[in-house]
Amino acid sequence: MVKVADLKVGQVIKDEFDQIDRKLLKSYAKWSGDTNPIHTNDIVAEKAGLKGIIAHGLFSYGFLTKLFEDFLEHGKYGKLIETDVTMRGMVRCGDLLVTEGKITKIEGKRVYLDVTQTTFTYVDIKDKDGNIVKQFEAGERGYISDKDIERGLVKTKEVDEGTLTYRERIATPGTAIIELND
Amino acid sequence: MKKNAQFLIENLGGKEIPGSHSLTVRYKTLVNFAKVFGITDPKYVGSEEEGIVACRAFANHYLIKSLYTLLLGMKLEQDGKERDFILNLGKLLHASQKYNWDGCVDIKPGDRLTAKGKWGKVWLVESNMIFFAQLIVDVKNQNDEMVCKATVSAAVRPGGY
Repeated sequence: MVKVADLKVGQVIKDEFDQIDRKLLKSYAKWSGDTNPIHTNDIVAEKAGLKGIIAHGLFSYGFLTKLFEDFLEHGKYGKLIETDVTMRGMVRCGDLLVTEGKITKIEGKRVYLDVTQTTFTYVDIKDKDGNIVKQFEAGERGYISDKDIERGLVKTKEVDEGTLTYRERIATPGTAIIELND
Repeated sequence: MKKNAQFLIENLGGKEIPGSHSLTVRYKTLVNFAKVFGITDPKYVGSEEEGIVACRAFANHYLIKSLYTLLLGMKLEQDGKERDFILNLGKLLHASQKYNWDGCVDIKPGDRLTAKGKWGKVWLVESNMIFFAQLIVDVKNQNDEMVCKATVSAAVRPGGY
């Protein structure tokens, strides 16, 4: 159950999605009507200088509204009133998309949040000798730029198979307002 | 390029976008759109007999169609010659969007939605020559009830305006 009295400024609502692939983007293109081929055809995307298809900006945005609809149990405890976001970074197939809402203010039944969608783009996994033991799409297609490295967005962490290199980047910052019933 | 941007800034800001775009909401589209996001709640993907409503993200569906129709159909006269708003669609980027549903009603299968728009703020960032235009779009159903108020910012790279 979600009630205003139970919510606190600073509280975070979060969701993760790691199933972004070409099939899903084609399905989104079909049912959204946004059939720009840079989202579904690698050859067209490469010609546009994108190195491979990119997700529709509004596709990843859909996970933001879903975050709040799930949180409010689809209208049982309230409704989503507003979202306001900036499209800042491209989302790619294979990305882990983390969607978060952090409560900044509560006024009556209205709850205001800062929202972010962050992508984790996996590049490769190397063994202790520096040999690549697993390469991801971003590594194969060269999605990571020098600018990403300069900005400190490219990081490493130890995983079972070795050292994972990945990029962590905010794709969609913004705000949201929800209104609770009680 | 700068001359074209200046022309658009002088001729678009605050003005209504001519025409409107209408579409009928199909049950199958509502359900399959929601399923893309893994939505399983019967409120959005239940049977046609039980009745369903659109998930919030469905705003993407009717707005993208409306924006393409309204923007691509828009003609302007510059230096005595007719021109489109966008000269090269490949240069068009989606910069930001705001959806507001305050006081709006749910969308149901069979609804006939109509979008009408006007230009908001229009500006040029001279450091990279990217042209920005804000579009304010109201979407109403067949009963003249508001279903969504949207503000979308489009960015047009050099060569596209």
